[in-house]
Amino acid sequence: MTLVLIAMIGALLIPMVEALQDEDIWQRMLAFASIATKTSVMILVIAVLQDDWMIGVVGVLILSVGNAALMLLAHIIKRVDDAMEG
Amino acid sequence: MTGYLNIILRLTIWFLLTADLSWANIVIGVGVTILLPRGVTNVGLLKDWLRTLGEVLVAIPQAYKEAFEIMLYPHREETVVLERVKPRRTPSLIFLDIFLITFTPKTIVQRYHNQGWYEVHYIQRRETP
Amino acid sequence: MINILSYTCIILGLVFWYWGTWPLLGRRSVLYKLHGLSVADTLGSMAIVVGLLLRIPHEWPLLVLALISLAIWNTVLGYVLAYCVTDDVTHDAGQEVSHGG
Repeated sequence: MTLVLIAMIGALLIPMVEALQDEDIWQRMLAFASIATKTSVMILVIAVLQDDWMIGVVGVLILSVGNAALMLLAHIIKRVDDAMEG
Repeated sequence: MTGYLNIILRLTIWFLLTADLSWANIVIGVGVTILLPRGVTNVGLLKDWLRTLGEVLVAIPQAYKEAFEIMLYPHREETVVLERVKPRRTPSLIFLDIFLITFTPKTIVQRYHNQGWYEVHYIQRRETP
Repeated sequence: MINILSYTCIILGLVFWYWGTWPLLGRRSVLYKLHGLSVADTLGSMAIVVGLLLRIPHEWPLLVLALISLAIWNTVLGYVLAYCVTDDVTHDAGQEVSHGG
């Protein structure tokens, strides 16, 4: 299971690099969405690894409400973009 | 989201979060579900609902199948196709339709037009002639 | 037996993660990357959670909730991002399009 966790951290690095190197805001949002999902799934895996289901409850809560913030942010960015253009 | 979808969603979340099937819990869950404020109760046909919920179940294995297809054969072409919305769709059924199309990896709904069209973004193996 | 099955699911999910996240580094359009992410983040994560579910079946209610919220949120987020990225170039420009969420 520890190997699984290391592989997951490796996968988590890809969107982080992308968020650092790309200037375009939407590519960054995409990377952030990916990071959000991956970290919450990692929380679940750690919960199983540690055999501590309280951590798992936190992971499930983050999964079920976390992405709402990203959706709202996407809409705000879209509105700001539209306002800047015309 | 109105009608059935609302109630189903609330009850599912309640029972999964509490994980308790005692009588008291069921009564509390159903009571809260009904008492919570709802939007306009514009309920579609029950038959359409059952069919769409069935399609959701079918969509899961199909999504995995498409995932393997685009992993094994590279899909490099992108196209945008306009698709017609089925008639007699309430807003929540349209939401489920968009969910179904976007859930499968090869297709993403870009935009929904009020006149009854979806803009669907496809990836394909090669350009259509 | 259950252990092997669970590891198979988790490894399948990891393969999906790597395959779907890798295109992020390339120079394709946002929508093309979105297709890859829908493989990685929705289907891959669902496979991993199913793998965990096989290991600790007694916690099924919360894990099923995790599965459902993964499917719904990632799909809706994909739609919202696709909607925000594309410009409204067609006939009903200026008209606000409603989208449930």
